[in-house]
Amino acid sequence: MSLKIALKNYFILFLPAITIMLFMPATSFSADIGNCLLCHKYPGISRVDEEGKLKLFYVNEDIFNNSVHAKVKCDGCHTDIKEIPHKHAIKVDCLVECHIIEPASKKKFSHKDVQTFINKSVHGVIDNKGKEKKFKEDFPTCKSCHDNPLYRPISFFKRVRPGISEQSLGRCRVCHKSEDFIYRSYNHVTTRLHPLNIAGVCAKCHNDLALVTRHGLSTKAVYSYGETFHGKAASFLDERIPNCLDCHVSKGESVHQMLTHKDPNASTSEQNKGKICTTIDCHPSASPKLAKYGVHSEFNLTQSPAQYFFTVFFIVLTGGTLLPLMVIIFLDIVRRFFPNASIGGRK
Amino acid sequence: MATENIPASSEAIGPEEDFTYVEGVGKIPRDIYKYVKSDPLGDLPRYSYHIVIQHFVTFVTFLVLAATGLTLHFADLWWAPIIMKLFGGIDMARVIHRVAAFLMVVASIYHISTILGGTFYKIMKKQFDFRRTQIPCLKDARDIVHDIKYFLGKEKNRPKMEKFMYKQKLHYIAILWGTFVLVSAGTTLLFPELMATIWPNPRFAQDLARLMHADEAIMAITVIVFWHWSNVHLVPGRFPLQWSFLTGKITREHQIEEHFLEYIRNLDEFPEEKEYIKKVLKEKGFETN
Repeated sequence: MSLKIALKNYFILFLPAITIMLFMPATSFSADIGNCLLCHKYPGISRVDEEGKLKLFYVNEDIFNNSVHAKVKCDGCHTDIKEIPHKHAIKVDCLVECHIIEPASKKKFSHKDVQTFINKSVHGVIDNKGKEKKFKEDFPTCKSCHDNPLYRPISFFKRVRPGISEQSLGRCRVCHKSEDFIYRSYNHVTTRLHPLNIAGVCAKCHNDLALVTRHGLSTKAVYSYGETFHGKAASFLDERIPNCLDCHVSKGESVHQMLTHKDPNASTSEQNKGKICTTIDCHPSASPKLAKYGVHSEFNLTQSPAQYFFTVFFIVLTGGTLLPLMVIIFLDIVRRFFPNASIGGRK
Repeated sequence: MATENIPASSEAIGPEEDFTYVEGVGKIPRDIYKYVKSDPLGDLPRYSYHIVIQHFVTFVTFLVLAATGLTLHFADLWWAPIIMKLFGGIDMARVIHRVAAFLMVVASIYHISTILGGTFYKIMKKQFDFRRTQIPCLKDARDIVHDIKYFLGKEKNRPKMEKFMYKQKLHYIAILWGTFVLVSAGTTLLFPELMATIWPNPRFAQDLARLMHADEAIMAITVIVFWHWSNVHLVPGRFPLQWSFLTGKITREHQIEEHFLEYIRNLDEFPEEKEYIKKVLKEKGFETN
């Protein structure tokens, strides 16, 4: 066989493979160095644990590859897994040192500082007297809020809109040469949760009536937010609308530092809440009195009796007006269809 | 002039409520509307062009306000984003809602000016007759009872009603109340920063404004859909619409059926109408003068 014929045959053999590679999604080229997906790609992979609960071990490759942790090797978080097949894996500790060398300190990156903030915040399980709070199992862990698929890139260049701003990337490219690095960094740093998604995350706990009652909270916070004009505009994906964090987190701080409104340092404390609405992004010319408006009003009998009875008044007024009118119009229409009909004989 | 007195000869067509005697015409049976011919565009004047313009502006702005407002109120329902997109997004919908509200307020001011000005003019000319106005009176209550009896087949004829019968008066009161509530609550919502400094208890005022604006809007929409639209669009004989809203005229048949007393006045005001009804009576074999 001549070299030419051999090359032709090899080309024919490799043609289907090349074609498949060309049409494979780009996300499929991510790092699964440990080849973990060999098993975990199967949707049915699961077991029943000692407590009789079904544990699902399926990893959706597409979702994972588009998440902020896509570049982290599986054993970067699952540090106890040293061999394959592996035994029961312990729960992931989000505070482990991970894949990134933090450029400023040149040290391996860790989320430990976040936990330090959380411990001092309203969501920490230890109170300011050092005692464990009641119902500590209700308090959020990292994964309660940080659900990878929720993240999405968002552009803040000129206008707030979904997607990555090419103008912003152009600035990154001046110094950073790797497109992949630029994309990942931008995605990670500028990733925000949409107002609606933020409310959705908070709603997991704060719309749970049992939890709200257990902790003595005054309102199903996301429900009452949704009843306001801010909440309704958020439903239409308005990016400029204040979300939970805009009011409940002090400027320059992060959600992990959120304090209870009873804390004088909290943005929502009596002495500070007047400044919430009057920031340059919201109502800069407004009086601090604007913050007196009810953002979490629930018009029920216990919380707002006057508003509750006002609502009842309107329901009674609407029903009391409409029902008699409907009876009249019904009788009118019936009479026109059946002009000679009568009940009990005509006069 | 029309009279409610019964001449001795009236016994031929029944008791008093079954006819009205008109000088120069004779006894007009209450149900003569079943035999008259009408122009679909209207035969007799009912609304001035001022009222036609006011109604037109009000109903167009009402529909726009309802569509934009309901979409915002029910923001979490599946259809809301679709409608919002039709309005060009939430920013555009907000502008449209406010422009429509402004126009509705203009129409309301225009209406109040017309009504007050017109009433004053009529009083000065000694032509004012409260029976031809929207002012409710005891007769309206009696007309409702009479009409329900008619619908149930207990009365032979519908009551003899004025230019504005109980249906229009109820609706007019609802519009007065609704406009007052919606405009006052809407103003509170439109200027949150100013209102926060004016109201002694801004939270309470804002809560009430939110409740009033939404609840009253829903009430207004249900009354319009189930009462006004049923009466002027759905009822057999009025379907699919009456052209009064453009021509300002009412059909002869409708005027006699629901506004009989106003028709009797029309006979004095329009000699040709008197001749027409006399001709109909003759054709149908009724006694005429």
